[in-house]
Amino acid sequence: MFRFLAIRFGRAALTIVLVVTFAFIVLRLSGDPAVAIMSPEAPPEALAAFRRAWGLDQPIWVQYFRYFGAIAQGELGQSMRDGRPAIVLVLERIPATLMLTIPAFILKVGLGVPAGIQAALHRNSFTDRAVMTMAVAGFTVPSFVLGLILVLVFAVQLGWLPSGGQESWRSAILPVITMGLGGAGVLARFTRSAMLEVLGQPFIRTASAKGVPWPQVVRGHALPNAAIPTVTIVGFMVGSLIAGAVVVESVFSWPGVGRLLVVAVGNRDLAVVQCILLLVACTMVAANLTVDLLYGVLDPRMRARKS
Amino acid sequence: MRLPRRSLLASSVVALPRIAVGQADQRPSITIAVQRIANSNTLDNLREQSNVGERTLLMFNERLIDMDWRGNLAMRPGLAESWRRIDDKTLEFTLRDGVRFHNGDLLTAEDVAFRFSPALAFGDTRPVVDGKTLPHAFSAIVGQGSKKLPDEIPPVARRLFPGLDRVEVVDRRTVRFINATPDVTLEGRLSAAGAEIVSRRAVDEAESWLAYARKPIGTGPYKIREFRPDVSLILDAHDDYWGGRPPVKSIRILEVPEVSARINGLLAGEYHFACDIPPDQIGVVEGNAGFEVVGGTILNHRITTYDNSNPVLRDPRVRLGLAHAVDRQAIIDGLWAGRTRVPQGMQWEFYDDMFVADWRVPEYDPVKARQLLKEGGYKGEPIPYRLLNNYYTNQVATSQILVEMWRQVGVNVEITMKENWTQIRDRSTARGVRDWSAGAPFNDPVGAIVSNFGPNGAGQQAGEYRNAEFSQMCVILETSGDRPLRRKAFRRMLEIAEREDPAYTLLHQNATFTAKRKEIRWKAAPSFAMDFRPGNFAI
Repeated sequence: MFRFLAIRFGRAALTIVLVVTFAFIVLRLSGDPAVAIMSPEAPPEALAAFRRAWGLDQPIWVQYFRYFGAIAQGELGQSMRDGRPAIVLVLERIPATLMLTIPAFILKVGLGVPAGIQAALHRNSFTDRAVMTMAVAGFTVPSFVLGLILVLVFAVQLGWLPSGGQESWRSAILPVITMGLGGAGVLARFTRSAMLEVLGQPFIRTASAKGVPWPQVVRGHALPNAAIPTVTIVGFMVGSLIAGAVVVESVFSWPGVGRLLVVAVGNRDLAVVQCILLLVACTMVAANLTVDLLYGVLDPRMRARKS
Repeated sequence: MRLPRRSLLASSVVALPRIAVGQADQRPSITIAVQRIANSNTLDNLREQSNVGERTLLMFNERLIDMDWRGNLAMRPGLAESWRRIDDKTLEFTLRDGVRFHNGDLLTAEDVAFRFSPALAFGDTRPVVDGKTLPHAFSAIVGQGSKKLPDEIPPVARRLFPGLDRVEVVDRRTVRFINATPDVTLEGRLSAAGAEIVSRRAVDEAESWLAYARKPIGTGPYKIREFRPDVSLILDAHDDYWGGRPPVKSIRILEVPEVSARINGLLAGEYHFACDIPPDQIGVVEGNAGFEVVGGTILNHRITTYDNSNPVLRDPRVRLGLAHAVDRQAIIDGLWAGRTRVPQGMQWEFYDDMFVADWRVPEYDPVKARQLLKEGGYKGEPIPYRLLNNYYTNQVATSQILVEMWRQVGVNVEITMKENWTQIRDRSTARGVRDWSAGAPFNDPVGAIVSNFGPNGAGQQAGEYRNAEFSQMCVILETSGDRPLRRKAFRRMLEIAEREDPAYTLLHQNATFTAKRKEIRWKAAPSFAMDFRPGNFAI
């Protein structure tokens, strides 16, 4: 077990280092923060002063080692636009993002998993086709298109809900639905496939042949076995809670981490982008690690293999 | 329940004025959706030198010399009620009496001098005269340490006021601007962005430069209540405003990056104004009864510039040929719904006597274009055209049309999409054509053609353009007070930069459009600035 955990943690750490390194190199080689923040028409002396002030005049490898040295001391840098610590800016935005992503996550799971199960249990029926049609529509329509349609109907035409901003809890309804429907479609499809595979297994037939009531077969035998692929997808969704709303936040002018990321990338506000990526990488890695551990809980065979 | 009579009377007395005030203030509060509030996340005019910043700055800040925003942009008294030239280097202002900052302080000459001091603007930069940097006129740089200016601000301030040596306080209401060199444009510079006056006490009391820059205390008709960078800016009426009671109780400016979201919010009744409406969306807005789009041309021209060091573009006839191949009116009609125009070169009417009235840009003439290209030795070599994704309105569509127009006369221009300005200006590979815009911050050619293409302008600094005679003319414009000589020099510059040795091809005047509810009576300025002063808002 210790070896299993050590390997997993080692991989996680390596993933985070690679993500941060890749982002560092790409961001520094693809644009000059001084020009992005000061404007292309700024006097050359002003641009030079800006670069000097933020250490951008140093060779990239010097900047890289300084950056990692600072991270080792818990220092994630300061925003070049804002002058404040990057972590403070990001932490300020996280509650707004979670206000969307957590309800959207609940909607995805609460709608997608039962819908997938129902579709599998009624394979080739009207219910199955209806659920799958909705699911395919849900994950193929881009979120910015779905968001705009919802705004046109519920904000512009009916006037029931705000079109954007973060004025009250009502402002969150349309973005949550936009994100939730797409994710629910993905989950419904995966859950259906997993259930169909399990329902065709001999142990399901055996249980039925033994006279176990069908609802009990589904609850006790089919669902736990079909959970593994679904848990994998759910794990990815948990991992994207922090920065999974980039497009939706832009469409709905929602001041969360996603919009901060878009603005920071545009301005090459390096510390802020790297801080967000670091958090996202950590969340994603933690979610995957949890999923790996959950596999063992859900499937005794994997537990035995690991031990 | 017993209520003592005295308490009841006292509470009534206390309550009465509040009710009276509440009833009296029936001014509307409005919401404006903009694409971006500020590029720099600050509201200091020297740090926020952007078009988006210009939109809001005049709501809370003012300059000594104002402009006629609802008219022809002519200079007029602002915080100064009058000014006079003492000599060719000295300008004396008499400040308007009774002007109050948002913190209640009266405007004094000390505030004006402080705005143009090393502490808040110039740092350790000094004017350059005859190639020599002047020594400091100050014993120490005040305001350093915890309130240290960001390093990039002094160079910006020095570019805006290159010759300003010092500002002297004569008395409480009189202040003198003393230049190191003669500068006939000083009045213009003081009417432009970067010359806004803020309260010295407010800066002194701010915890840091950033704290000041997030909430500058000016004299404008609205005062800042809250600024959330990248999210919102909320302003309240400054009822002690010298120009009268502001017509709006509060202005809430929201950052809504997506144009469709801005339009939807307007149509849904959530916003009163939606800014930065692209021309192709004007019909969408005006298709709804109750909404209209206002605005139009602004003090900014869209141009394409050339890297003259590219061997293919080195011959001026090739560049002039490219200019003659452009059908500007077709671009205006096709992409701008005819709501802008072809300007008369890089100049604007508010230049007054410096405006060269009979000047025209190279006309659309494909035959002439082909002939010039042939004479210039162009043989079909590819010319790179580095392009940003709609940094300017209609940029990509315009460039695609240009490429086709150039193809019609046999020129092979190849578009390469780039992500940012660093990539556009990268010298490691051959540069050819790129997009740009030229604005007129004040009413003199120095603000545009000299600033952009002169020896210190971005064109020459980036190694794209060089012409000795043009540079000499720039010096005349910058230093001479002889107006006929300046007019002659400016005409010559237009001849060189637009025909003889083209530095750029002028496409059209830029325009900005604001959608609003029809019941609001409000006039858009020929600028990005939004004016909500008394007399320009009613429902």
